[in-house]
Amino acid sequence: MTKKFTIRILLFLALLAGLNFVIDWAFKSFSAHRWVNLKMDEQFGEYDGTLTWLAMGNSHNCVNTRILDNSFNYGSPGENYIRTYYKLKYILEKTGHKPEYLLLQADISSFGPKISNRYEYNYYWIKYVDYLELARIKNDRDIINYWIEGKFFSYAGNYKDFWLSIVYRIKMKEVNMFRGYREHRDYRNFADVPDRQKVAWDKAQMILTKNEPLDPAIRVYFDMIMQLCREHQVKVLLIRFPEAKEFYEEQERLVPVGKLYEEVTAIAEKYMVFNGILDYHDMFFEHPEYFFDPDHLNVKGSDLFTEKLAEDLKKLTSFRPLEFSSHSGQ
Amino acid sequence: MLFNSVDYLLFLPLVTALYFVIPVKWRWAFLLLASYFFYMCWKAEYAILILFTTLVDYFVALKMDSLSTRRQKKPYLILSLAANLGMLAGFKYLNFFSESVNFAMAGLDLPGRVPVLDILLPVGISFYIFQSLSYTVDVYRGTTKAERHAGKFALYVSFFPQLVAGPIERSNNLLPQVNHPQAFSQVRLVSGLKLIAWGFFKKVVIADRLGVFVSYVYENPDEHKGITILLATVLFAFQLYGDFSGYTDIARGSARILGYDLMINFNRPMIARSLRDFWNRWHISLTTWFRDYLLYSIPYVKNKKVMVSLMYRNLVITYLLMGLWHGAAWTFVIFGLFHGILLVLENITENYRLRFFRWTGISRFPGVQTTLGMVATFILLVFSLFFFRAGSIENSFILISNAFDFSTFKQTIGYIIRNNELIFGILMVIVLLTIEYFHEKYNLVKLVLSRPTVIRWALYAGCVIFILFFGVLYKQKFIYFQF
Repeated sequence: MTKKFTIRILLFLALLAGLNFVIDWAFKSFSAHRWVNLKMDEQFGEYDGTLTWLAMGNSHNCVNTRILDNSFNYGSPGENYIRTYYKLKYILEKTGHKPEYLLLQADISSFGPKISNRYEYNYYWIKYVDYLELARIKNDRDIINYWIEGKFFSYAGNYKDFWLSIVYRIKMKEVNMFRGYREHRDYRNFADVPDRQKVAWDKAQMILTKNEPLDPAIRVYFDMIMQLCREHQVKVLLIRFPEAKEFYEEQERLVPVGKLYEEVTAIAEKYMVFNGILDYHDMFFEHPEYFFDPDHLNVKGSDLFTEKLAEDLKKLTSFRPLEFSSHSGQ
Repeated sequence: MLFNSVDYLLFLPLVTALYFVIPVKWRWAFLLLASYFFYMCWKAEYAILILFTTLVDYFVALKMDSLSTRRQKKPYLILSLAANLGMLAGFKYLNFFSESVNFAMAGLDLPGRVPVLDILLPVGISFYIFQSLSYTVDVYRGTTKAERHAGKFALYVSFFPQLVAGPIERSNNLLPQVNHPQAFSQVRLVSGLKLIAWGFFKKVVIADRLGVFVSYVYENPDEHKGITILLATVLFAFQLYGDFSGYTDIARGSARILGYDLMINFNRPMIARSLRDFWNRWHISLTTWFRDYLLYSIPYVKNKKVMVSLMYRNLVITYLLMGLWHGAAWTFVIFGLFHGILLVLENITENYRLRFFRWTGISRFPGVQTTLGMVATFILLVFSLFFFRAGSIENSFILISNAFDFSTFKQTIGYIIRNNELIFGILMVIVLLTIEYFHEKYNLVKLVLSRPTVIRWALYAGCVIFILFFGVLYKQKFIYFQF
């Protein structure tokens, strides 16, 4: 190899690295997902009120913190128990905040292998997740690649996020967020969807694996969340958020729901901090108009649900200890 | 180790750098070591199977080389065939056989069942066994001299770029290259990297993206109808092409950097004008293997006359076995049989078709005639893929019967239009076909090379960023690994 050729290769690699650096930086700056999540982090950092209720999991559009007093909604889209664990660990060990109750999303979709294998938005989650530990627990060293992606190649494979960011930035001039909760997605109504069953089926297929309701890694991390809460004396309430009827039916076709919750309860009940499951999954079965899509509430649905939740939580705090296991939201 | 993994992106430069640093006389040993390491990253113990094939064929070939007549050599050839095909049968076809027998016994209400073993199919077994077998047959026929150097022969069998999914190389192409390694070449490095990038584009931007939609349909055959199934099957054709030809490009590019030229395995198969033309363009190394070692080895002469009927029979047998080569399932048998029968029909009707084109005046418009041929070939190919992709015959028939139910046409079109990923995938297929067209016409590589450095570099860097940005980067296995 001639000296000239070596220099040319090095120059080209430097060009590539420089270009990558610029695109990585631009993508991180532009990504609406990161923008929204960082805003949430910022609000949480600034929050100095009483923190009775901390909502986590994929609860981002369910718990309206304007309705539920002393609460913060720290749920992010696509958040699974793995990410919840690391974020909660960060909160409890590094921020000085300690909620009295953790309102942890516990929908059917929270436990399967597909949610366990969601690794998008690493450029945001890199702040919290210990990828080495995760790789060890999952026995999959390729997980380290997600760290590399999050650190240096945020744009890699993420053109959809770029597209969404353009759409969001056009629709939202600024992030209208209150204690982590942001009103959004009210421009669509699931009741208007003509083929709701098909859309629900698609969604169920996307997030669940047939006959695999509880992923081993999710089981481990769910247990780790409970342990963490025990160590920090944070009470845990599992919440099944409202789902569209069609979506629930399609999920039920894929996984044994009863068996799943038996297992989940068995794990949770090992810990004294566990305060039961609040079950609202069928609360809006006859009201598709309260949903944005099969598994996300719209603003109206979120408001109605939070009112009901707030009422139930008020009862819980007034009459404790109270047996809340399998409480029906109806 | 998958080509589309970070591991490989580290492995290849490291191997390349060390390979050219090591003294020439030891390069074969280093490459052999790297090849075994590459394979053992998947499942270490299965490397013993490659070693077994290597040892058997090495000694068999040496022995055959020392004998003068084919009659004397024959027992050794049979030994090689028995050892290799026996291993292939054991690891790939035994359970298929057992399950088929059990199914038949259950159908006939007979008691007892043949045990089905828990065997993991060794990656690439069909590829390296066929490559090694071609060598022993060539030595038997006297078209190749036996390789005396065991290590170099072992490298011929296990050369990592083409070990797990081809191209299935021939001894007269690869062995001389193993014996005369080339010095490092800047031209080869650049051209190899371009080929690798092109392979990645086909794999991660096209095949893996289309694969999401194809799996969505094929994994739930009962749930889909009409245009969704048809579109999924059409896109599967492109997924398969992108996946396999992408793999081949990465393999050829990697080998090229190391100074080896592997054979071309694909030549724009999607524009084939007939099925015969298709098989001359698709997985060329396999088609020519079956042609050279099977098709013309089955007798077709009777009473000193070439019997066309026997040739047709042989063609059907060959394609049936080619189908079975792809996988141990009845769906692949049907796939092979379908192609074999259609090739015979294509041959029989050739004159009638030409007459028809003359009679209708279409022959005066060669472009129209070619387009008709391309469309008909593509439709037949797509139809055969119903069997190739569906996991079972039952699913194939469900899909075929549902494919022509257009009761949900309007909703489906709405769904397709809303599916950005799908639209983007289709767009990328169009980009692929356009680039292939222009490359054949104008040689785009030459065109790019004639541009100033700044433009070339911008183009190369742009391609890398494009693949990273638009690629589906969670590691998807290559489809042909299962074969």
